[in-house]
Order: sequence, then structure tokens, then C-alpha cells
Amino acid sequence: MLELRLVQGSLLKKVLDAIKDLVNDANFDCSASGFSLQAMDSSHVALVALLLRSEGFEHYRCDRSLSMGMNLNNMAKMLKCAGNDDIITIKGDDGSDTVTFMFESPTQDKISDFEMKLMDIDSEHLGIPEAEYHAIVRMPSAEFARICKDLSSIGDTVVISVTKEGVKFSTRGDIGAANIVCRQNTTVDKPEDATVIEMNEPVSLTFALRYLNSFTKASPLSNSVTISLSSELPVVVEYKIAEMGYIRFYLAPKIEEEDEEAKS
Amino acid sequence: MGILDEIQYLVSDKLQVVSYKWLSRNFLVSSDDAKRLLRDFVEKHETGVEVLYTLAGWKKNDPSLYRVRLASKHALAEAKQEFDGNCSVEIYSVQACLPKDPAVLGNAECVQAGELFKQLQSVDNCLRDNRFCRVSNSFVKRNGGGTQETSTLPQVKSEGAFGPQIKTLLHQNPTPAQPKKGQVADVVKDVKDSSYISGAHEQNSKPALQEVKLSGFPGNVKKVADNKSSGNGALANMWGRASSKTKIECVSAETSATNNSSDAQVCARENIEHQSSDDEFQGVNIKRASNGKTGRKRKVIFDVSDEEDEYKDAVNLASPDPPAKPASKQMFQSSDLEKNKLNFEEEKEKPDVKDNNEVDGVSNRILKEKSVALSKDDTTKALSLDNGRNSASAGTTSEHKMTDTATRSPQRRKVVKTRIDERGREVTEVVWEGDEAETKTNSSAAKKVDNTTASNTSSRPSVNKKSPAVGSNATNQVGKAGNKKAGNKDPKQGSLMSFFKKV
Repeated sequence: MLELRLVQGSLLKKVLDAIKDLVNDANFDCSASGFSLQAMDSSHVALVALLLRSEGFEHYRCDRSLSMGMNLNNMAKMLKCAGNDDIITIKGDDGSDTVTFMFESPTQDKISDFEMKLMDIDSEHLGIPEAEYHAIVRMPSAEFARICKDLSSIGDTVVISVTKEGVKFSTRGDIGAANIVCRQNTTVDKPEDATVIEMNEPVSLTFALRYLNSFTKASPLSNSVTISLSSELPVVVEYKIAEMGYIRFYLAPKIEEEDEEAKS
Repeated sequence: MGILDEIQYLVSDKLQVVSYKWLSRNFLVSSDDAKRLLRDFVEKHETGVEVLYTLAGWKKNDPSLYRVRLASKHALAEAKQEFDGNCSVEIYSVQACLPKDPAVLGNAECVQAGELFKQLQSVDNCLRDNRFCRVSNSFVKRNGGGTQETSTLPQVKSEGAFGPQIKTLLHQNPTPAQPKKGQVADVVKDVKDSSYISGAHEQNSKPALQEVKLSGFPGNVKKVADNKSSGNGALANMWGRASSKTKIECVSAETSATNNSSDAQVCARENIEHQSSDDEFQGVNIKRASNGKTGRKRKVIFDVSDEEDEYKDAVNLASPDPPAKPASKQMFQSSDLEKNKLNFEEEKEKPDVKDNNEVDGVSNRILKEKSVALSKDDTTKALSLDNGRNSASAGTTSEHKMTDTATRSPQRRKVVKTRIDERGREVTEVVWEGDEAETKTNSSAAKKVDNTTASNTSSRPSVNKKSPAVGSNATNQVGKAGNKKAGNKDPKQGSLMSFFKKV
């Protein structure tokens, strides 16, 4: 028996919008502690890890741990039917092959039930070790999204270099090259507009922009994004989800001579 | 209602165990109505009676097991835990107190069944025509000689086309064989064996339950088809009015070839014997085998027409179940009327290969009614394993059954058949006719069906494991993001797998 009532139903809609382009099918794991998901994209280059802690739900009941395989596109289709202010309740039964999404309008005058078929998904669960990152950049999510979008119109890959001065995003393509530097900036009205750089040692890594662009679909979830970089490790792009969890994207760097890009 | 008072009398004064099966046969109501009556009764007399519930569903820790078990009121919640997800809960019996010996539960039924079986063959009692079974049954014709009549032959062909077997039937029908004494005894014994709470075998058992193992593989039935000819007749009798015919068939088959038809029973018996040593439970493993090995060929005729199925009060052409009647007095009359309605003045007097209102009176006991699809299949042994599983899941809900029928329709078709029943009346029925061979060869189709009727987790459509190899040409699945480089994977792109280890 599973019953998760999420008052801020729009969060779930946004989560789905954020990951459905990256992953087609995934297992949602429900346990007493929360609702989570880990899935890799089909080419095993990117990984998304989602956690919605049980405390974030108005009502959270999960009698025993349950893994529900869902097609994320289908799930997104159903969640699209929920209004942005709707309360979403996820219901499932042990051993059942369906999951039910119930949408309640804020005024309680409309209640919709959507039942979705589950699937058996043979997914590979990866153990992600805790790691110390060389550099952690926190910046407005909209800014990061803008940078990735702009750079992808010029090149396929981006070199993210963190130095004391700031974080530099650079690319080059057939038509030319581009560099965007964001400096640390903590003197802002709203803390989420700040750009904060914690750096232990300089790091420079190359990533495929198409994946980063895909990650930025999570921008509506949070005003700020945290990018953790370490040489020899995948980058982590993390969006906090309103006090109740996070969505993290891991992306393997491109194996490339950095100076090749940096020569420009 | 009079019956409720009657039950009250039986339970409190005569201290009899009133099970729905007994009720159904005694008052000539359908088993659904019998259950309903019991429910009403329990509601009315909540105190003072003990209720036994029957639970049926897929086992939690082994989803391939379809389990039917009994539980008392107090143990109900606990018993439910053993099932995976939904299980059906219905009243099995009411009694004044819970019997210490579970065999007591079967006593009344056993006596009743014995009496019904002892009646003359020509007497049409409810056990023979199984008119109260909620599920219309499907039939198989076992062709002992090893020749198969393909179901593509329309049943309304000329008599000769059916070969010797039909003729045998024709010949024998007017004088149905009287079951011999020994067989009756056998039957009674089998009845006991297969009832939930059975007698002889089960002294050691807790409130009984049965597990139907669906995981039988073709090889499992190797031992079967020896020569247990003594079992032949008994099993034939067990399954209701089919008895006379099946039996005759078997007899005729014996002379010509191997007596494969007994293996359903043999199998069931072996499993009973096998499991009686198990002190956890008494079970019957009903193993289904595709029978390529022995070269048997059979024919399935499904009479599952659209409107009928397990739908509760449906009266259908194929199985002339009279609707539930409150008082037993009217019953015979009304059932006669009911049947007469089905008589049509048609020219084509084609006796059907089998009698379609033959339903499994006793197989009712083997499984709960909801899963009669299972026992039906077992009876007929017509379906391969996959189909059997499928039917099992179909049996759990009537909706599934509908899907089942629908999805399998390419393999079967509806055929109007006219035959002469045992009383010499002409009966026209609509049946599904199917081809066993087709079913077998189309195991893939069967699997597909399995998926569509998914009622447990194991039958969820599965998604292929994504391997890196797949991933290389599937990068376009990343949607918009994957469009740019779809098709040629960047050799410089590192893989996450080189950073993180699988758990």
C-alpha cells in the first residue's frame, strides 16, 4: 500500500518535465524515507537521481519498499492533466501493475483519477560514492540555463573551468568560439541570485552541451543550481526541490585534451 | 427469506457446516447466490456463527503460485498478508463453531455429492450438468487415437466428417453408462481429496488451502500416462455431466491407443500424494503440460461468448444456468423451462462433440470458483502452459477474462452449434471454437496474451535491459538533446559506468 499526497503537485510535474527527455523508463523507488529515482540515459553518459523525502509530503504512507517501473513520457502525459495548483496523490498497491495519480483541485471541486500501467524495468542501480569536489559553483539556475543554451548554438561541447576569478564556460564551433565568465557575486538582494564559488583547486572539464541543456529543464524547480566539479569525476548538477529533496544530474566528462580546447 | 431461516436452523440446531457449495446444490441456487445468501446470513447473525472465508490470489513471496486458502474471521487479516496485492475474500462456510478437525468441513458436502452421484445417470442433477457453476466451461475432446480434428472444421458439418469418435458418442448417448459402484466410491474419494478441507488425506493439516502451481513444464508430466485406467472413469465422473461422455471416450480410446485422458487426474493425485507429506499445507499442484511428447492432440471448444463469462446473473445460451431461485420447489420446473427455451427447431441436428453445459461440478472444489478457468483448463488440459497461466489470471477477474477472450479471438471463433442433449432435446448454443495446435504453435501469441492480461507483477511488460551496445544507437532517445549526434557516438565521451560501480 502506497499513498503519497503532495500538496504542491506542480513540483512533480516539473520533475517529470526535467527528466523525461533524458530517461525513457525508470523505476521509482518508494520507501519509508521517501520517493526516489535513479536512472541513466540510454547511452550511460548521464544519470539522474531524484529524491523527494517523505517529510515533504502532506501524507506519506509506504508500508513496504516498492519499486514501480514507469514510462516517464506516459507519466508526464498524465501529470500534464493536473493543474498547477492541484494536489497530487500517488497511490499504489503491493503487487499491483498500475499506479494511480489523483489530482484534486485546490477548491476540491474537481477530482481526477489517472491510472497508469507499470512496467518491469531492468535498471542498473549505480552506487554513487560521496566525494569531495574540487570546485562547487552555485549560481542562478536561469543563468546557467541561458549559458548552456547560448553556447550550444555555437558548439557541441563546453569546457567548464573554475579558477579563483570565477567560472568560465567556453566553446568553439564551426562559426567561431565563445567564452562566458561568471564572477563570484554575493552582494545581491536575494540569496538565490548569488553566484558562489568554493574552490579547493582549479578544475577544467569538458562536457557535451546537449546533456547540460537537458539538465537545465529542471530549472523551474529551483532558482539556483549547484555545479560540483572534480577532475576524474562526473559533474553533478543539482537542483534543490523546495525543502523536500533534490534532483541531481551526473554527467561523465568528455575525455579530451583540455588544452586542445583551451588553445583558442 | 426462507433459506436464511433454513441456514439458521442447520447451523444452530443441526450444527451442520453450511458451505456455499452445499448450499448451492441443496437449494439449487447458483454458487454466487449461495455466497450472497451466506453473506446476508452472516450480516444478519453476526454473533453466534463462525465464518470461514476463502481467500484466493497470487502468493506474495512466489507470484507464480495462485493460492486458495481458508481462513477464519480472526485469521483473516493475517491470511491476507500472504497474498500479493489483491486477493478475493468470500465466505466459504458458516458454522456454529470452528471445527477442530478440518475434515468436518467437507462432511456435509461429501454426503451430498455422494448422493448426487449415486443418482441414476439419466437423472439430471445439478452436479452432473453443473448448472450452478458460475463459469461456463470450455471443452476438450481428447482424441485417444491420436488423430486430431482440427477446429477449423466447422462443427456443423455432416456427421461423417467427425470420424469414429462422434459416432461412438452418438451411439452411446442414448444409453449413458451407469457409473459402477467402484467408480462412485472413487469419485467420492476424489471429491474429498480435492475439496478445500478434505478428509482422509488431511488430518495433519491446518485449515486447508490449495496451491495451484502454474509453473509446470512439459517435462513434469512424464510419469503420467502409464496405465491408471482405474482412474479414468472416476475423473470423468468428477467433472460433471461430461462424465458419461468423457468416460465413453476414454473407454473407446483405451482400446485403440494409450489412455492419456487420465493424466489430469493422475497428475492431480500424484501431487496430492506428493504434497500430503508437507505439513504446511495440503495442496494440489495442477500441472499443465503441453503434450507434444505423447503425441496427444486435443481440441478446445470455448464457449465463452461475450455476454456470459463469469458475469454473475447472466443466463446464456451456452450454459443454461437457471437464474437463482429463492425456493427450491420451483427449481426443477423452472430449470426445465429455462432449458426448453433453448430448444430450437433446427434442421441440422449435429450433436456437439461435447456438451457445453457440462461444467465442472467437482472441479469447483479443486479451485475456488473465481479460478475455475484454471481447473477448467486442467480438466481439458487443452492449453499449453502459457495459456494456462493466462487463464489463471483471467480467472481472477471477469474483466480479465473478457480481455482474454478478446485478445485471443484470432485463434478462435464463435460457432453456433446444435446438438441433442441427454433428454433428447435439441439445443442450440453459441460456442467458441479454437484450435489447440494453433494455440501451441503460437506460443508467442500466448505470451502476448499473458502480457495483456497481466494481473501480477511478473507479467508486466518488460523493457529490455539497456546495454551500452544498445545505447550507442539509441542516443536519439535522449529526445531533443540526443538529436544532434544521434547515430554516431562520440568516442571521446566518457561513460558514467567508468566512474560508478553497479550496486
